[in-house]
Amino acid sequence: MNNSRRHFLAHGAAGLSLLGGFSSFARASLDKAQILVIGGGFGGATAAKYLRLFSNNTANVILIEPNASFLSCPMSNFVVAGMRSMADIASPYDSLTKHHGIKLIRDSVSAIDPDKKTVKLSSGSVIGYDKVVLSPGISLMTNSIEGLAKANQAGVTLQAWKAGPETLMLYKQLAAMHDGGVFAISIPEAPYRCPPGPYERASLVANYLKQHKPKSKVLILDANQDITSKGALFKKAWSEQYSGLIEYLPSHNVTGVDAKTKTLRFEVQDDVRADVLNVLPAMSAGEIAIKTGLANANGRWVNVDFLNFEATATRDIHVLGDAIQTAPLMPKSGHMANQHAKVAAAAIIAQLNDWPINPAPVVNNTCYSFVSEQAAVHIASVHQYDAQAKTFKSVPGAGGLSSEPSNTEASYAWGWAHNIWADTLA
Amino acid sequence: MKSLAYSVLLLASLSSSCWAQISTADQLDQQGLAATCANCHGTNGKGLPNASIPLISQLSSEELLAQLLAYKSGNRSGTLMPQLTKGYTDAQLESIANQLGQKP
Repeated sequence: MNNSRRHFLAHGAAGLSLLGGFSSFARASLDKAQILVIGGGFGGATAAKYLRLFSNNTANVILIEPNASFLSCPMSNFVVAGMRSMADIASPYDSLTKHHGIKLIRDSVSAIDPDKKTVKLSSGSVIGYDKVVLSPGISLMTNSIEGLAKANQAGVTLQAWKAGPETLMLYKQLAAMHDGGVFAISIPEAPYRCPPGPYERASLVANYLKQHKPKSKVLILDANQDITSKGALFKKAWSEQYSGLIEYLPSHNVTGVDAKTKTLRFEVQDDVRADVLNVLPAMSAGEIAIKTGLANANGRWVNVDFLNFEATATRDIHVLGDAIQTAPLMPKSGHMANQHAKVAAAAIIAQLNDWPINPAPVVNNTCYSFVSEQAAVHIASVHQYDAQAKTFKSVPGAGGLSSEPSNTEASYAWGWAHNIWADTLA
Repeated sequence: MKSLAYSVLLLASLSSSCWAQISTADQLDQQGLAATCANCHGTNGKGLPNASIPLISQLSSEELLAQLLAYKSGNRSGTLMPQLTKGYTDAQLESIANQLGQKP
């Protein structure tokens, strides 16, 4: 067999059945199993890739994702603040096919039937599965704020929290705002996707205003009692760099939006009018997880078995990322979703090989936030599985924060971004 | 400014066929553990050459373990690594160094 032929058999999905004849008995179940990965974000794309790597490229992995390109939420605040383009945070999914033999189906899933073990696509096709890896991301609970659904549809308010067309639209609204205008960002009660993200966005928007519209203001309306992540570091940067440009108002829970007057209403305080309205409502697990009956934590998040990320509500559906009811002190972040994916992928491959599942997985989180275009801070944590408590526990004495914002960490943050994008997609 | 697509393309061209075969549960567990480093340091420790994050796969396993333990004990300073290494047991750090470092 020449090299190119061998390469095709090892890496091409079409080679799988041929290879099957050479497999040992224990491998047979792995070779035959159909694994559907639903959602190509940090969780899903990483799971698809590592299912192939951990199985010596023998697992049959299909990734179902409606978008042609991956769009990164981390670094998308640079697009909102006009410092980067959408192309800088976008990548096609091709490498997963070319380099890892993952079959891509460009579609979304309209229903999962855990009893029949089938998935229905929006196009109408039905696919059977042995394992599903579901990485559905979040749903924005627009109905939790009166008038928000309509206002967002009209473009009067934007979320730009799932990187996509609204990311650029929000920048365009910022760019069109007059000098002296108010950019308001409202934050829901935790937990929500990317705890420090809103504060980073406020910082980078203030950085933009300082350069282009110094009479303007960023107004942060936070439903929480205080900044939910990296509070002291953000406050220090705001007072040193954006004095008069950022106003932070805690315990401001938005209950309604008036699209005509661009006004926000609150549980307690007086109404606030702004020129640009970035309203982030409460969030839940992605809709398909809720529809499938997996969201058994307050009807919002999915409880999982942390050894393999299998949903506790049903068998053979493994749920990753922001959609899960997280372990204590575990953030909803892209980095963490990538880490979930590796634990789940290893557990699925072990199970299909009839091997014991790793009894002591570990995951870590590293999260950078920019306080200006040039300076960043981090928060980090390590989480070891605790067999007695059946959850991940944050290791005491490990992890922590930056001592201060720095250019060095800004450089590391971009390095982190490029390497995690490649680890997830290349 | 490098784009995401550029990184993905570059790494794809660097990373093919560097993955060790996995034939036992133990090997799978060790690869899974080492993969917790990949977010920052690249798949199998092979990060992008100009991504500003140290290229750990150029170190020998022995050198890598010495650095990890120095971060953990506080003998070596840094931004993230002193904080992250404290979350791993010495045995886990040794396993990671064995997976990602160069063998003699």
